[in-house]
Amino acid sequence: MNRVRNLKLVLWMLAGFGFAVGLTRFFFGLGATTNLGDGVPWGLWIGFDVMSGVALAGGGFVMTAIVYIFGREEYHPIVRPAVLTAFLGYVAVIFGLLFDLGLPWNIWHMIVFWNPHSPLFEVGWCVMLYTTVLLLEFSPVPMESSSAWAKIRATLIKIRIPLVITGIALSTLHQSSLGTLFMIMPYRVPVLWYSPILPILFFISAIGLGMLMVTFESHFTSYFYRRKPEIHLLKNLAGWSRWVLLLYLSVRIGDLAVRGQLDALTAQGWRTVWFWVEIVMMVGAPLVFFSVPKLRISRTGQWTGATLGVSGIVLNRINVGGFVHLDRGAGIYLPSFAELAITLAVVATLALIFLFFLERFHVWEERPVDPNAKPEALPEFDYASMVSLGAPSVASRYTRSLAFILAAALGFALLSDDVLTSKGFESNPVRAARGGDTLWVDGNRDNYGVAFPHSQHVKFVEEILTPGIEITDRENGGVSFASETEVPQYHDKAAICSQCHHMNLPGDQASGCYECHSDMYNISDSFGHDWHSETAGAGLSCFTCHQTGMAKNAESAKQCNECHDDLVPAYAAIEVEQYLAPGYTDAMHGMCQNCHKIHAEEVEKADLGRCTTCHTGQTREVIKRDQLNRWSNVPNNDITTFSSVR
Amino acid sequence: MNPAILTDITKCIGCRECVAACKVVNDTQADSPRRWSLDDGLSSDNWTSIVEREGEFVRKQCRHCLEPACVSACPVAALHVTEIGTVVYDSDKCLGCRYCMMACAYGIPRYDWDKAVPYVRKCILCHDRLMDGQQPACTEVCPTQATIFGNRDELIAEAKKRIAADPDKYDNHVWGEHEVGGTRILYLVPKNFDLSFMTYGQKLGEKALPQVTAPAMHAVPFAFLGMGGLMAGVHWIVKRRIELSKTDQDASKEEGGEHEQGA
Amino acid sequence: MEAWLEFGRGPLFRFCLVILILGLLRSVVLSLYGMNEALRRAGDKIVPWSDLTNKTFQWLIPVTRLFRKRPVYSAISFIWHIGVILVPLFLSAHVLLLFANGIGIHWWPEFPQRIADLMTLITVIMGILLFLGRVSSRESRFLSRFQDYAWVPLITLTFLTGGLCANLNLSAGSYQFSMLLHVYSADLILMLIPFTKVAHCVLLPMSQYISGVAWKFPKNAGDRVAETIGKEGMPV
Repeated sequence: MNRVRNLKLVLWMLAGFGFAVGLTRFFFGLGATTNLGDGVPWGLWIGFDVMSGVALAGGGFVMTAIVYIFGREEYHPIVRPAVLTAFLGYVAVIFGLLFDLGLPWNIWHMIVFWNPHSPLFEVGWCVMLYTTVLLLEFSPVPMESSSAWAKIRATLIKIRIPLVITGIALSTLHQSSLGTLFMIMPYRVPVLWYSPILPILFFISAIGLGMLMVTFESHFTSYFYRRKPEIHLLKNLAGWSRWVLLLYLSVRIGDLAVRGQLDALTAQGWRTVWFWVEIVMMVGAPLVFFSVPKLRISRTGQWTGATLGVSGIVLNRINVGGFVHLDRGAGIYLPSFAELAITLAVVATLALIFLFFLERFHVWEERPVDPNAKPEALPEFDYASMVSLGAPSVASRYTRSLAFILAAALGFALLSDDVLTSKGFESNPVRAARGGDTLWVDGNRDNYGVAFPHSQHVKFVEEILTPGIEITDRENGGVSFASETEVPQYHDKAAICSQCHHMNLPGDQASGCYECHSDMYNISDSFGHDWHSETAGAGLSCFTCHQTGMAKNAESAKQCNECHDDLVPAYAAIEVEQYLAPGYTDAMHGMCQNCHKIHAEEVEKADLGRCTTCHTGQTREVIKRDQLNRWSNVPNNDITTFSSVR
Repeated sequence: MNPAILTDITKCIGCRECVAACKVVNDTQADSPRRWSLDDGLSSDNWTSIVEREGEFVRKQCRHCLEPACVSACPVAALHVTEIGTVVYDSDKCLGCRYCMMACAYGIPRYDWDKAVPYVRKCILCHDRLMDGQQPACTEVCPTQATIFGNRDELIAEAKKRIAADPDKYDNHVWGEHEVGGTRILYLVPKNFDLSFMTYGQKLGEKALPQVTAPAMHAVPFAFLGMGGLMAGVHWIVKRRIELSKTDQDASKEEGGEHEQGA
Repeated sequence: MEAWLEFGRGPLFRFCLVILILGLLRSVVLSLYGMNEALRRAGDKIVPWSDLTNKTFQWLIPVTRLFRKRPVYSAISFIWHIGVILVPLFLSAHVLLLFANGIGIHWWPEFPQRIADLMTLITVIMGILLFLGRVSSRESRFLSRFQDYAWVPLITLTFLTGGLCANLNLSAGSYQFSMLLHVYSADLILMLIPFTKVAHCVLLPMSQYISGVAWKFPKNAGDRVAETIGKEGMPV
């Protein structure tokens, strides 16, 4: 068992997986790959990658302050990993932002177009400046390995104190400005998380988190490299973080008290529970674990306390960043597969870079060597003596790149066809019109339908459009075609009915509109390929319809009426596309409005241009009373006399 | 010019002529329900919509706040207030952060989620038409004069006149006169009609949202310099102390040495 | 059967295609990296670029030394390569179903069906001849590994079943079965290419690079060796 190598393999796979998904995000847009929407403009990428990434980078400014400003040199062993974590955290923020921004190639606009009123403008500038500062703070470490950099390195070390002070000041602004971001949404962020002093709350918690994060990171890497974490230093950090978080809690509760919102703490609802979960993880856990002396100096105690505390603050950032105001949008937002994959890939990539620096340079006091490692896992190139130590990395290079491409391929394979083709259309199945003679046409049952007097229309077609042809069994309502034997003058009837019933199901003479126009708004399939090819359906062989020697698509296939000769009646007023039916609304509007326009002089409602001419927006009961709709006789059951027996 | 629109909810018959006119004038694409749409009818292709609630028709559109939250939120000033007061969008500057969508108290801006090159979309109060001396398309086509265009002050006066004339019919409040610092889209609301569905279920205060963040933003330079100065000071003191203790030690060592010598 | 077909043409196809593209890229990068490392260890800085391109093109163009030794076998192999590369890329059904519908490329050129059929037939025949050639010669048998035997029949099978699917009048009843064989053997081919000898489609220059670097000594190599081991001026 080799922890580091397995970890790296997993990280490479995560990176490969996200690489595949990330590519599709840029080709197909945010709508196809994420679950974001008009109600949830910010999701996991902002909540975790950006908000939490910045917070997790808090270790950098806290540790530099402790060592360089407060002069506690004994903490020097953990400064370098802390600064590296902070730097990579910020790189992760920028990296994650590139996926989240709609127009990431315009990210430089923040440098050119200024809006100093915007908190996000401040955030952007802080990210840019502080990343630079962190880079300058950390770069002396890799520069150690080569004498070529000695001069620059010396300069950087000379200006270290001003750099550190700038870094701390920038962090102060930046950690707090992430809170300022949400101050402009008093109506969106719920009362337990919204506060006019959000920036202060964010800043205090960032200090506590910085200490916890250093502890967490030290234990994490120590586990994988089988080394001893700096428990004697970390126990002090953990102790201080306790007080910072306690201060945080009192400020947060105090703020609620000042604003007179204390009863929100005990109010009913999932948010209150969630608030307390957050507080227990964020403040409670460190308080308990770091107050018991035995736990505080034990590896398990430190590790558990720090992990819980860090997760609690991440949870807080995700909550403020969007989770607790999800219901301000519509429906429930859960990150999509693509969002998760990309987030994991960002984290994995940064972790790999972290491990790279850890192994190559003096980030720790000692260079990490895994005692259990096989010989080939040793560093393959000794930079001290400039001697190559043989071919060990070849093996890992091969397996890791293999893991990467396998995961990438798996990522592409797992993307649903939906992602690659979908434009995010919602399907809105249509239901049959209800009613007897007067039909209530309301496909999506929103009670915003149209009352359609059928007999009036039949009468109009009969008298005006096809004079001389008469329906003989008018007594039966003129619409029920129970069987053909009862309909002696089928041809005449077809002439009249088929004016509007322009295409019927096989064997049917007056199919309902909804049977082909089966979606309210989208184009729907009026053919049913699967049914035709399945053994459970028609069980036809492909080449019953498709020509051989050609690609099997609509062009090489027979038209429907080559097999079903009764589909399109002779007198149809509308030319039909045989496989695709327009959406229900388009079909109905097209049919009604066009026909009324053509026969404007002869019909009662000539101009259907105004929605309310037909859409009365009233329920069925109202129509009964309405003078204008005097034919109305809408029964409560769903009889669909129109579409006959199938 | 102080353009504004007054929408009298009691007069609207829900014909959606305004929606149709808006689509024609702004040349937006046909719209169909998408997974990412809200159910209020607004989308990147529908900049105004009619929402039916409790038998009344309410027109939704960008409120063109006097002090817009979206404008103060936009980090690159892509959204900005023009000299005539309309809130418009410069797609060349936008970087797609969607902070405007989060910041708007009314949840108005919409996004081109389906595009690989997406932009923010919302009503721009027919800015070009106003500059040509015309009125917005929606008010021009309204058959019942439910939504009318005019000078903001005059429209507020008109609204108050209508309320005074029929106090039983209207809520005694011009919605938008003071909400979040005042908006250019004003509503006359029927008596006891709940409008909270327009604002995340909240009752809006009178403070403009940019004013809420302003104190924090004003504090930025002071925080930067203050923290920088504090750190520099602490560093100086600590350094001095360490030096002093060092010299003390040295001094005591030297003293000790002298002592030894002396002895 | 339909479901298996859809799986082979959908997720599995995407999986195999990505393995193919990234896998070949990986092979190139890794071999370049390895070569550079070898060069660095050897302290050698000369890359024989001209030699490399010359050799690569010599192998690409059929009229070379090889033809003089076994002209018939070489000619068969050359024709086989043309068919194997061109038919899958420009067959009208592939262009429509895979490129246009699957990936969204609509400008891809395509062969007329008849030419594609003819090329398929020729490729299948050449495949059989190639296999016979390998089996019949003792030297070839001596040099062949399992994959050398397996590749030609696998590709020939894919072409054969593909041709059958396109011309159903040849075998009316077995469409689904031959399609299944076609799709899955093609997926298998895509997936195996980067990891077997067929990777020579991108690694041909690399192998020339390797032999160029490994078997070509710099002019003053001997002096430098002597210098390094500290025996300058001594008689070797």
